[in-house]
Amino acid sequence: MSDQHNESARDPLDQALASLSRDVQPSRDLWAGISAEISASSPVTSSPRHSVTSSRSWLQLAASVVLIVASSITTYVVVHRSMQEQVLQAQQSATQQLQQAPVLPAMPASFGGQEAMGAGYVQARAALDKEFQQRIATLPPVTRAKLERDLADLRRAAADISATLARHPSDPLLQELLLSTYQSELGMLGSVTDMTNATETRL
Amino acid sequence: MITGADATDTTAERSPFSDAALVAAARGGDTRAFERLYRLHSGRVLGVCLRMTRRRDIAEDCVQQTFIRAWRSLAAFEGRSAFGTWLHRIAVNEVLTYARNHGTRVEATQDDAVEESDESVATARDGVNEYDTGEVMDVERALATLPDGSRHVVVLQAVYGYSHEEVADMLGIAVGTCKAQLHRGRRLLRERLGLPENAS
Repeated sequence: MSDQHNESARDPLDQALASLSRDVQPSRDLWAGISAEISASSPVTSSPRHSVTSSRSWLQLAASVVLIVASSITTYVVVHRSMQEQVLQAQQSATQQLQQAPVLPAMPASFGGQEAMGAGYVQARAALDKEFQQRIATLPPVTRAKLERDLADLRRAAADISATLARHPSDPLLQELLLSTYQSELGMLGSVTDMTNATETRL
Repeated sequence: MITGADATDTTAERSPFSDAALVAAARGGDTRAFERLYRLHSGRVLGVCLRMTRRRDIAEDCVQQTFIRAWRSLAAFEGRSAFGTWLHRIAVNEVLTYARNHGTRVEATQDDAVEESDESVATARDGVNEYDTGEVMDVERALATLPDGSRHVVVLQAVYGYSHEEVADMLGIAVGTCKAQLHRGRRLLRERLGLPENAS
């Protein structure tokens, strides 16, 4: 492979092509147009499905969704209010940490780990994680695998950002990213409760 | 052989944190993280689009569509390839879709193409100093005069380092066709640049 590479490196044509810059700077700010287009929507969280469903079917589908959502919300609010409070408490705790961070020069570096987000956050996260492990076992294998993969991605990202933040403690974007990732993790842990409740309610 | 991964090899050097972290944040709806991804990758995506279309206005539209589509499809990105490679696939698809929808109008005339090449991309790659600006301009000019099929393959493979299989997949052609187009493109480039055949 290296011989091949060396061989081609001696070829004047390859040398000529290698001299070309791969990056080209745009003549105008393209981000403004992109931002305007994407700001109205979140990234799609599932693959789009093409459908030729009739308007009647759409109405039936919409009615079913409304029923499922309404029953899920009712069950969720009644039975797991404490869970919601735990998520909120953890998110508030994390937010407070972020708001305090710029005031204290040493604080940003403390965002490097979950423990630094406060005892309330750690407790709530542990409780949610335990709940998650119990609930996820009741979900279909495909859904379970996807959730586990997404959660692993988030945790890997958090670890990655955290490690980078240790090297760049004053980067506000990193702080926001880390907080956002922690919040996404909490949201995902909590969402399993919603999903399993919805399933139970339907049954 | 340089692989497609090389097409994004400098991203980590330019970014204080990885694409994976930014993608994870963007998936959660963080547009600032996505903007950072745009800043990191847009130059290279534009390079691909411009060399394929030879028209800056069309290429820039394709870049915008690429990132809009990427945002909407972030959930589908599984991380099996580099994020930059994934973006390039979308970009190539955008260019080909544009060409299909607009026929030959997507392509500039040869004179226009040469002019675009002169103004847009005639800068030598960092660290490559054997070629001055004039020589780089000659290479861009020769590249821009290649027939579409050959140029697309040469751009993706010889300039951006993708493998035959990756290029064939991106362009929706057979690997054999890809090899033939590369051979043809290289022969034409040698003729137009006055370069000798490689002895090997």
